[in-house]
Amino acid sequence: MDILSWDGTLSSGDFRLAACAFMQKWKSVMSAFPPWSWVPCPKQPWGASASHDVEGYLSLENIILRSIEEEHDEISCPQKEETSCSEKEELIDIATLVQSNCSKVPYYDLHIIYSASYRVPVLFFRAYYSDGEPLGFNAIEKDLPAHSAKALLDSKWTFITQEEHPYLNRPWFKLHPCGTSEWMKLLFHVDVSVAKNGVTIELYLLSWLSVVGQVVGLRIPLEMLNQP
Amino acid sequence: MAADSPSSVRKVVVHLRATGDAPILKQAKFKIPGTDKFAKVIDFLCRQLHRETLFVYVNSAFSPNPDELVIDLYNNFGFDGKLVVNYACSMAWG
Repeated sequence: MDILSWDGTLSSGDFRLAACAFMQKWKSVMSAFPPWSWVPCPKQPWGASASHDVEGYLSLENIILRSIEEEHDEISCPQKEETSCSEKEELIDIATLVQSNCSKVPYYDLHIIYSASYRVPVLFFRAYYSDGEPLGFNAIEKDLPAHSAKALLDSKWTFITQEEHPYLNRPWFKLHPCGTSEWMKLLFHVDVSVAKNGVTIELYLLSWLSVVGQVVGLRIPLEMLNQP
Repeated sequence: MAADSPSSVRKVVVHLRATGDAPILKQAKFKIPGTDKFAKVIDFLCRQLHRETLFVYVNSAFSPNPDELVIDLYNNFGFDGKLVVNYACSMAWG
């Protein structure tokens, strides 16, 4: 792929390739972290089959993205009275107190789904507490890492919308893909090896996630880029 | 390479590079302690350019998390004794 004419997007076939490479790399470097998995989906019976050429998506579910320190840095106990911050509990167990003192820690489900119209990956996500209670838009906004999320969202490189999950028929949040091809082009234009060898599809998702991950607080370890 | 010496006060040379139609800084090279976070570079850039936000990235098609230490970024992405940090302004689509 000639870098000068590359438009920042990839075909559905390339997405599948990129997904495989990404899953492998992740598994080998992030051994302490749960692996991404590929969720195959049957072709939808209606409409343009182009939308679902890929027949699947990447999934990483039930993960905690905030460290315990971050939780305690947050504003002391939210206004909700239903939290377990009752006086009764303070007497019981220091460990329980520390855990439940502020927040319940949200769990995240992340899906990387190919968009046939934009020809780029899209991050769909949702968050919920351990009791299953989902986080609404305001709660999620509060939970996102302040600095980086704000930078990316305010600049309109991407923004959060709520939309029906293309396969699961439930509302999820997503990071809008309209700017993706533009910033993917920027990212790859300065890569020295890319200028020589062309865009490496295997790197696409890693690069993409280095940006998108910042919005939800998923950090890509630098070691991933050093893998052959 | 920076890695050889004790890193307690080692500074990293950072070269800020404008891409797209981002304004070019008059003073684009500076030194920063390796133990500082990348967030400091981002903040510095934003202040210099009078912008709230910028798209900031390094070679190897990667946008570092603001919490990364500058010395770690240098060790992974630096060459010729410096860390090149590229920046672009908000895009002008639609």
